Amino acid sequence: MKDQNRKKIVLSLRWTVIIVTSYLLFFGKGRMTDPNLGHLFILAYIFSNFILIFLPKAWFYNPKFFYLLVVFDTGIVSLGMYLSESVTTDFYLVYFLILIFASMSRNLKLLMVISGAIAFLYGLLLYSWGLLDSEQSVSYALRIPFIFIMSLFYGYIIQTFTKESQHQRALSEDKYRGLFENDNDGIIIMRDVELQIVDVNREVERLTGYRKGELLQRSLFELFESAEEGRASNYFEQVLSQGEARTDSLSLIRKDRAPLEVDLSTKRIHLEDESFYQAILRDLSEQRRLEKKIRQGKMNFQAVFDGIQDRLSIQTPDYRILGVNKAVMDHHRTHENELIGKECYEAYFHKVQPCEKCPVAVTIETGQPASSILKISEENTILRVFSYPMLDEKGNLLSVIEYIWDITEEQRYQEQLIQSEKLAGIGILASGVAHEINNPLTGIIGMTEIALEEEAFKNHPYLMDILRCAQRISEIVKGLRSYYRTAKKEEYSLVDLKEVLEDCLKMVRMTINPSKVEVIERFQSIEKIEANVGEIQHVFTNLITNAFQAMDKKGGKLGLSTQSLKDWVEVKVSDSGMGIPSKYLNQVFDPFFTTRNPGGGTGLGLNVVYRIVTKYEGTVDIESEEGIGTTFTVKFPIRKEER
Amino acid sequence: MSKRVLIVDDEEVIRKFLRFRLLQWGYEVSEAMDGADALNQLNKGDFDLMICDIVMPNKDGWELIKEVRSSPRTKDIPVIVLTGKNKDSDMFKGYELGASYYLPKPFTKGQLLYGIQLVFKGDSDSINQIDLSQQ
Repeated sequence: MKDQNRKKIVLSLRWTVIIVTSYLLFFGKGRMTDPNLGHLFILAYIFSNFILIFLPKAWFYNPKFFYLLVVFDTGIVSLGMYLSESVTTDFYLVYFLILIFASMSRNLKLLMVISGAIAFLYGLLLYSWGLLDSEQSVSYALRIPFIFIMSLFYGYIIQTFTKESQHQRALSEDKYRGLFENDNDGIIIMRDVELQIVDVNREVERLTGYRKGELLQRSLFELFESAEEGRASNYFEQVLSQGEARTDSLSLIRKDRAPLEVDLSTKRIHLEDESFYQAILRDLSEQRRLEKKIRQGKMNFQAVFDGIQDRLSIQTPDYRILGVNKAVMDHHRTHENELIGKECYEAYFHKVQPCEKCPVAVTIETGQPASSILKISEENTILRVFSYPMLDEKGNLLSVIEYIWDITEEQRYQEQLIQSEKLAGIGILASGVAHEINNPLTGIIGMTEIALEEEAFKNHPYLMDILRCAQRISEIVKGLRSYYRTAKKEEYSLVDLKEVLEDCLKMVRMTINPSKVEVIERFQSIEKIEANVGEIQHVFTNLITNAFQAMDKKGGKLGLSTQSLKDWVEVKVSDSGMGIPSKYLNQVFDPFFTTRNPGGGTGLGLNVVYRIVTKYEGTVDIESEEGIGTTFTVKFPIRKEER
Repeated sequence: MSKRVLIVDDEEVIRKFLRFRLLQWGYEVSEAMDGADALNQLNKGDFDLMICDIVMPNKDGWELIKEVRSSPRTKDIPVIVLTGKNKDSDMFKGYELGASYYLPKPFTKGQLLYGIQLVFKGDSDSINQIDLSQQ
């Protein structure tokens, strides 16, 4: 019987059941007392089958509907038998015998054989009792096909149920087996209490290197490393007492004796009323390898990050610091914990909002790299700041890399370079024009002097002004000369700084009348330096002249000292003059810078000092306090050959 | 008898200023506008001193000094070099060529007088008695 025709088969079987039941009703032993009831019963039964004709096929595959139909038919056949007044007979007993066999049977063929045998035995009994020869022989004879039809009917129904149940079970088993075998984790099924392995999947075979047959009937304990026995024992005690347990890592021994680190999760389960333990093994070696790789990668990244000597940090799009390199921590003399999570402008520059011209702000807004130069007045530094976006696959900004390059020194050097180039340019220009200026200047000075000797113009203020201005131009031109005039090596000699100081002092004394100035000399014996004496004289003439001028007519103390340091000789020129305001201290060596009244100085003297001293790789520093005085400290390096 | 001084400079105003001062101090003065003019005058007359510029047209001061020193007739005439070329090397060159004194421009009348007196030092007859401290 094809299951696909279930509706057709059920309908056909029911028609036969209806026919045999109708026969029983009308030709049965008892005959119905009220034939109308029999007609009504048959009509109802036929009607029910007609209803079934119109029901959809799918309903016949619905177990609930199928059960209902069986109960209905069982009840209605019983009613038919009752109405045929066969209840009191043994026939009713046979009917229930069929039902009992049918309910116990899983096999239709066997059921049909049994039913056939019962029908045959029943017929034999009827014959032996002589009932088939009685006047009610038809009624008795009808019972034999009825028994067979009913057996067939119930047999089919039972087989259908059995098949369905088997099918479901097979499906479920296949599904389970498939899941079990194909799971990426190793699964071990163990018998309760003894933890004896009863099943393993393929992954367990792969992980342990054992074949399934080698693992079955062994205890999972046997697979643990001896060093792990204590932990494993504790673990399984927990499993047995709590029904489940999990461990992060345990080491097993593979068949090839190699250790295998696994994550083990065990749970008690019930399979067909028996209690088992299901252990899930997850191989951690790959995870450990990845963790190691990630750790290594992280270390490499950190090494590169920290190896960069400039400041590097990673920030969120709302300026919060995510990470910093060592240079940042060193610069701010702090630990990264103190910086991470804070806004960069607050953590780095103590500001309440992003810095002006901050390139990070540009990158946050545009998602593009940016750079700018920031002057941080709080730190007195100049920074070139670069910012680069870190984007996800969709191009969304995740974070910003900020790269801070301190260019303060470079910038200062650059400025000095520009300044010296500018001065060299002035020098070249001065060299060219000096002659052209000096000629007419000689005329102006000479003729003005002549005019002033005339009676009419004697001490005339305008002519005096012309003379002063011309003399000032003359000084400027002389000052500019030093920018292009530089002594050659051939003009160097060993210079005794003490002698130079004394000569310069004499010379300056001749031009300025420093009668009220007390000179304090503290000369230590020092090494001579190799230099052009004229240039060194120029340096100290300028410094001593400045000192006298700073003390003005009030007089004061002029200090001259020399001392020998390790690799240097040092000369100090100090005065007790008016001092220089601190705001001008970093400008005093700039060309044309002067604090004197217009006409009082060219502003080139200290610049010439600076240029000459630095030419000999020396240094010149100034210390000054208003109202107290000024000290210039000049140092020259001592070369080995000078010793 | 007054000393005769030849002034050689292409700048008229400087010649004028020098003439004024030299006359004031009692010298007899002749003027030349360049080296060639100076040589011409030196060949014609006798001079006790030549004050000359360096940068001049036709024949510059260096050429002039060389020729003056190489001629037996003029080789002993003292020469004061006046110049706007203020490099030390120029000054050394001037002395090497035989200049008696080197006076960088611009200069005051005191510096000029000092130079002249230095040149005529030891020649008591030829030094006009001018008090330098008064200048």
